[in-house]
Amino acid sequence: MALTTQDRTRRFELLAMPHLDAAYNFARWLVGNPADAEDVVQEAYLRAFRYFDAYQGGNFRVWLLAIVRNSFITWSRTNRGGRLVFRPDIADEGGREAQALVWSTAPGDPETLLLRRLDGETLGRLMQRLPDEYREVLLLREVEDLSYKAIAEVIGVPPGTVMSRLSRARAALRKLWLQSEQEAEGEV
Amino acid sequence: MKCERSRTLLPMLADRALGPLRRRLLVRHVARCMGCAAELEELQAMQAAMHDRLPYHRAPPGLAARIGAALTLETPPVPARARFRWPAIGFAGSGLAGALAGILLMALLQQPADVRQSLVRSAIDSHIRSMMADHLTDVATSDQHTVKPWLSAHIDVSPPVRDLAPQGFPLIGGRLDYVDGHPAAAVVYRHARHVINLFAWASPGSADAGFRSAQYQGFNVVTWRRDGVTYCAVSDLEADLLAAFARDVARPG
Repeated sequence: MALTTQDRTRRFELLAMPHLDAAYNFARWLVGNPADAEDVVQEAYLRAFRYFDAYQGGNFRVWLLAIVRNSFITWSRTNRGGRLVFRPDIADEGGREAQALVWSTAPGDPETLLLRRLDGETLGRLMQRLPDEYREVLLLREVEDLSYKAIAEVIGVPPGTVMSRLSRARAALRKLWLQSEQEAEGEV
Repeated sequence: MKCERSRTLLPMLADRALGPLRRRLLVRHVARCMGCAAELEELQAMQAAMHDRLPYHRAPPGLAARIGAALTLETPPVPARARFRWPAIGFAGSGLAGALAGILLMALLQQPADVRQSLVRSAIDSHIRSMMADHLTDVATSDQHTVKPWLSAHIDVSPPVRDLAPQGFPLIGGRLDYVDGHPAAAVVYRHARHVINLFAWASPGSADAGFRSAQYQGFNVVTWRRDGVTYCAVSDLEADLLAAFARDVARPG
């Protein structure tokens, strides 16, 4: 199939541009600031365009988000002193404690009521304090509304790992939130 | 259903990832169990907060236009063809048949060398680029069961991804790349401080070929072809070590 250069560019734009907000929001939460998020997204789109021939159908947003994530990893290697950001071996250990925390809710707990009043700005601050590997699964699940299987595709781990990492991410977020609530109470 | 089981399934219920049967059993349990009901409510409250109230950053105006402009500048890779090059004809005095035979002979001698050299150079370029741009891996893990599915999800070749740590070549990760105009899977291994890029790309219809070594610009390259896939290992490793690596990685089974 011989696509002309123009056709190829046009086809790519038709598929990719509708996901620009999703790509940017994901990058923005991973990176933490608007300027670098733009760079990461632009780099991701160029990479996606280069690898466009390797796209074999399926969910384009998932394919694109995986590339955004790769661009983020490249970016963070050069901008965070070469530190490896994704360390699945670490992220998936020590889950017991975190899970126990999730399971400790007592019946009639008032936390749910408090959670319903949790405002977006506070939530955003808590999110920024989470490790990257937790933040990304939460974004992909709760914001992008992706299935475990799709998240697995984006981050390149088995779906079972997605589930356990998501549990730990939620527990970690909840822990941060409880801490911030206690601190807020202490200040009053 | 017991609470312990219920608790592990609650996130799946909240994530709409349960089949109808388990869903019905779990809902029945939650209806009778205060603790699990509270747990589910809290999960859902956190989900609602994330989904409805976490600020959503829309792409800033101008980003789409900037990307569009960058795309038009980007020239798509042109598939490299084994181009037949007319050799310089310098034998005007010979007969037509002789000239044709000469051309044929030169083409036979020259063309594979040309093609191979462009391949070797391109593979070395990709190898150097992968280290200079600090973009060695798209998926960084020593787990072959992570690298392989990642690559097969992103490209149509499935290169051998092996645990060669016992042989002294630990796996570092995988990456998508381009070699000689082909989208290629790159599997990255290491030996001491030397990086080894193993490129693989589909070359359907091409005959199998055994190991061939080449050296260029201080890099060693081993190429081979099997079952319509061309493999190319590049490293600054010594030639015999790289050859050993190639044999290990290509070993069937």
